Parts: sequence; structure tokens; C-alpha cells
Amino acid sequence: MIIKGLLILAAVLLFVFFLRRSHTARLQAFKRIGFTLFCLFGVIAVIQPDLMTWLANRVGVGRGTDLLLYILTVVFGFFSLNTYLRFKDTERRLTRLARAMAIRDAVPPAEGDSPGGSGVADEAAQGRGVALTQGGRGEGQGV
Amino acid sequence: MVQDFQDVWLVIPVFNEETVIADVLAHVLRTFPNAVCVDDGSSDGSAARILGSGAHLLRHPINLGQGAALQTGLSYALARPGAEYFVTFDADGQHQVEDVVTMIGVLREKEADVVLGSRFLEAAHEVPPLKKLILRLIASLSRPSRTLGLTDTHNGLRAFNRAVAEKVDITQAGMAHASELVDFLARANVKVREVPVTIKYTEYSMSKGQSLLNGVNIIFDLALRRRG
Repeated sequence: MIIKGLLILAAVLLFVFFLRRSHTARLQAFKRIGFTLFCLFGVIAVIQPDLMTWLANRVGVGRGTDLLLYILTVVFGFFSLNTYLRFKDTERRLTRLARAMAIRDAVPPAEGDSPGGSGVADEAAQGRGVALTQGGRGEGQGV
Repeated sequence: MVQDFQDVWLVIPVFNEETVIADVLAHVLRTFPNAVCVDDGSSDGSAARILGSGAHLLRHPINLGQGAALQTGLSYALARPGAEYFVTFDADGQHQVEDVVTMIGVLREKEADVVLGSRFLEAAHEVPPLKKLILRLIASLSRPSRTLGLTDTHNGLRAFNRAVAEKVDITQAGMAHASELVDFLARANVKVREVPVTIKYTEYSMSKGQSLLNGVNIIFDLALRRRG
């Protein structure tokens, strides 16, 4: 039956798409063409319901509804995959951004913060600690 | 003789460790002068505890996961002048400073490029039996870890020399970074050594530590990795 071949082909294409990580402009164009065809197909299917049954019989499926379900399954798979890849990509960018921010705003220890520092330095560190706590609570009282 | 560890950097990912981080840092900094804490978007007072402890503080504006935090800390440490050895260290105090000293020793002697801590190498220390089973299962399931002959792939204690640290690029933001690292090491053709380390399973670290169910997450993350 033709439908079996078509569905298997769809599954294979999805898998290939899954393995390919790059989002090239070509891929983008193909996706858009696919989407346009899908919309067109939807409109025709609504206007001419018998067309679905005719098409179903052509590819070896009993009813138009069944064919619709198969198509929906494939489209859903495509959609999920696309969304998943998008998310992954966004996550990666977000991580890079956050990393850049974290490194830019790094706070090195103040002189003498180290436990090995001298007594005087330790005092300074303590003073700084107090200031921090106040700042953190938002109740700094000024000098 | 007191050893000089000026060229060693500890990378400590921190996520909501308010209650212990100050003590852990105070203890660690007595031996190792350089530590960078990456606060991974903690919602408690972890950052305030780190400030004034003597460690460098980096803050992720949002929570990204331990893998991301490690990479951030590593990138920062690599840019510090004089940094030669890099150690990843857990913030909950389960690792021992003495073990780090041993690992750095192995790196300095050029016996290995990377030294990984293992809980299972010698007599089982205090690892709970079920946890041990799961961790060993993960280790034996992963092909790269078999290639390298590793016994414990999910130990937070690792030491790298500069050449390897520069090549490390952790992309797995979550917990699967441990296996990702092992995978990288297997491909990178570097000398890897495991040394036995002691883990203190305190009540605190047990409550914070990876639950066994997390093993399922790790396996899934890994299965999906190359496709993601």
C-alpha cells in the first residue's frame, strides 16, 4: 500500500531532521513551503470533503478521516521536533548570555578577605561583611 | 613543609547552600587560596555568605544547572593569571581537602592530565548500597567510561591540568554534564587517572544530593544528547 510507504518516509525524514542540528536558511525555506502547502490543503479539504476520501482511496486508506489522522500525526511529530530544537537552541544562547554576565560582574575577594590574612586585614573584612549584610537587607543607615 | 597551591583553582558550583557554604569555604581556603564560587541563581543567602569568605563570586542571573555553573567557573578560572590546575568541588562539604591535595600531586608529577575522584576504587567507604548499585550501573552502561576503565562517573571531585581545562566545553546544563565530561575525556586522548576519595555523607549532603530517580534523568539526557 502506498500509505505505508508514505508514512515510513515521513518518519525517516523526521529522524533525519532530528539528527541535523543546523538551522540553515534552506531548511527554513522548506519548512515555510511545507506550511503553505499544508494551509492550502486544509482549505481545499474543508471546501471539498469528498476529496479526502478520494485521496485516501488513492493511497490505500479506507476513509478520508483516517488519512487525516495519519497526516495529523506526522505534522504533530514535525511540530514537536521543531519546538524541541528551538528550545535547545534558546537554552544554549541563554546559557552563554548568563555566563558572560556572571563573568563580567565577578566579585573578587577584597584584600585581606582570605583567612590567611593579617589581623588588620581581617578587621577590614569584617567591616565589609557588616556593610554587605545591611545592603542585602536594604536597611543601610548611612554613616 | 607547606605546599604552595597558588596555581590551583577550585571551581565550586553553589545552589542554595546557605547553611554550609561559609564553613566549607573557610575550611578549603586554608589550603587552597584560590576558589571561585558560581552561585547558580540561588534563592537563599548563599551569595552573601560567599562574599567576604575570600572566594571569588560569580552569579548566574538565573538558574541554569550545575553543568553550566561548572563551565562558567572554569572559564573564569582559566582567565586568572598563573592558573595551572583546576578542580571541581562540591559546595556541600562532602569532599575532602586532603583528596584534592593528592589529586594535584598526581597532576604535578605529570602522571595524568585529568584526575577523577572515585568512591569505589578501594574499599567501599560509606556509600549507601542502593546508591552504589545505581552509580555503578550508570558507569558500566556508558561506553566511554568503560573505555577509560572508570568506576565512578558521577563524582563531583575532578582535577584538570590547564591543557585539558581549556578544551573542556560543558554544554549539558543539567546533571548529565558528568557523563558528557567522561565522553569528552574518552575522545580527547588524554591521560585519565582515578584516585580513591572519601565522601562524607552527612545528613545535609544526603538531603541535598542526587536522588536515585535522578539516575533515570541522567540516562535520558544522555540518550538524547547527540540529537539535541
